[in-house]
Amino acid sequence: MSETREQLTRELMKLVAKEGMVEAGTISPEARLEDLSIQSADFIMILMAIEEKYGAYISVDNDLTETETVQDLLDLAIAKIEEQRAA
Amino acid sequence: MHRVVVTGMGAVSACGLGADALWRAARDGVSGRKPVHYPEIDTQRVGHAAALAAPDLAQVIDAAGSRMRDPVAAYALVAAREAVAQAKLGPDDFGDACGVSIGSGFGGAQTLNTNYLKFAAEGSMRLDPMSVPKIMNNAAASWVSIEFGATGPAYCMATACSSASQSIGLAVQMLRAGAAQRMLAGGSEACLESGVFRVWELLRVMTADLNRPFSRDRNGMMLGEGAGVLVLETLEAAQARGAEIICEIKGYGTNSDAGDLLRPDPERAAACMGLALHDAGLSPADIAHVNAHGTGTVANDLTEAEALRRCFGDAPPPFTSTKPVHGHALGAAGALELIVSIGALRGRMAPPTLNYTEDDPKVHLVPVHGQAQPIGAGAVMSNSLAFGGINASLIVADV
Repeated sequence: MSETREQLTRELMKLVAKEGMVEAGTISPEARLEDLSIQSADFIMILMAIEEKYGAYISVDNDLTETETVQDLLDLAIAKIEEQRAA
Repeated sequence: MHRVVVTGMGAVSACGLGADALWRAARDGVSGRKPVHYPEIDTQRVGHAAALAAPDLAQVIDAAGSRMRDPVAAYALVAAREAVAQAKLGPDDFGDACGVSIGSGFGGAQTLNTNYLKFAAEGSMRLDPMSVPKIMNNAAASWVSIEFGATGPAYCMATACSSASQSIGLAVQMLRAGAAQRMLAGGSEACLESGVFRVWELLRVMTADLNRPFSRDRNGMMLGEGAGVLVLETLEAAQARGAEIICEIKGYGTNSDAGDLLRPDPERAAACMGLALHDAGLSPADIAHVNAHGTGTVANDLTEAEALRRCFGDAPPPFTSTKPVHGHALGAAGALELIVSIGALRGRMAPPTLNYTEDDPKVHLVPVHGQAQPIGAGAVMSNSLAFGGINASLIVADV
């Protein structure tokens, strides 16, 4: 389970970097999204990619407004993906 | 400057056919939310919208549909007929003295969507030859003017979620200035089509759950559809024909954020409400109730709450979002919500915000919820805050 989660985290990091148009080398879990210049339009692209790849729908709302770091975004995405897988 | 009054109202919505059905649903907190399913969407994430009930849709298409009309025009025609009947307008009341101002966000969405599917998915060249006149945004306004012989000026505002409020506001300004004696004004939207629904899904502002404006656990809006049309007249014209006057459109304000295309600006929204108050010659204390734009998205709700505080102070008048009832009907929203606001004005009753569960510390304001709440005598404000940063506020009052 934890291995799956680690793998998922790695995949999601890559996805966030690609869709957020950030150099893969500069992205880390602690990095603040703002510092990476990931903005609302990038969020939409990231969320679309998550939906395509994992089938999880995340609306641009409460949960997302509280995400400050890459880790926050990963936690949210993983929670929604796991929710989707359990459904 | 002429004073402008309302003498007729008509509505088509998920709550049923008729302005009264809409008001009663809002007052009693009965949602028009229904399951929607689009076979063309592989994995549909959002499963509900405030769609017309199937028998109502059949009745509207039977009454006003034709090969020349997209449903968006049929909705507007049915709403306009109701409004004209209530106003008891006769053949002599139209002509050049009567104009039309009916907006739409998407225009003929069904025709466009059906054509795209045939053209792109099936490769068919046999598309609807009437596509252009059915899709064009002003078709609803034109059909209404044709139906009644309203040969005065005809306008179609296409300003997304502010289309109907601005259409009504423009009509008010024209009547005040003497450009017409009466106007059929409002908005129409028939956007619940697979392609439109999918692009709203992609924008991720729709909830896959319940629409909960101003509530801490909100997570998006619910799309709606329908049409609202009002008969607006100068006070003199209405009195001259012995019309029964429903209320006065007392104030109108509109402005642009000139900022972010999608993210609303609390300062500009508050300024817009202030413009409407100034136009009405009223102070914030004169407003007994606000029908908020209240989409149930975090961007709207936090912004609008802050705007209400800036305009009205820390204790704004009782405010409601009725979107969980009739959905977010985009280009028709402002007209449907003005009809609900007029119901609130006349019934001295603020309808509840459905699905509200808990106070949001970021909003700091609690809307009317649970059940309708009596309100004092006073004017009622209705807000529209659109994508594109276009704000519009209307104020209605007793004559």
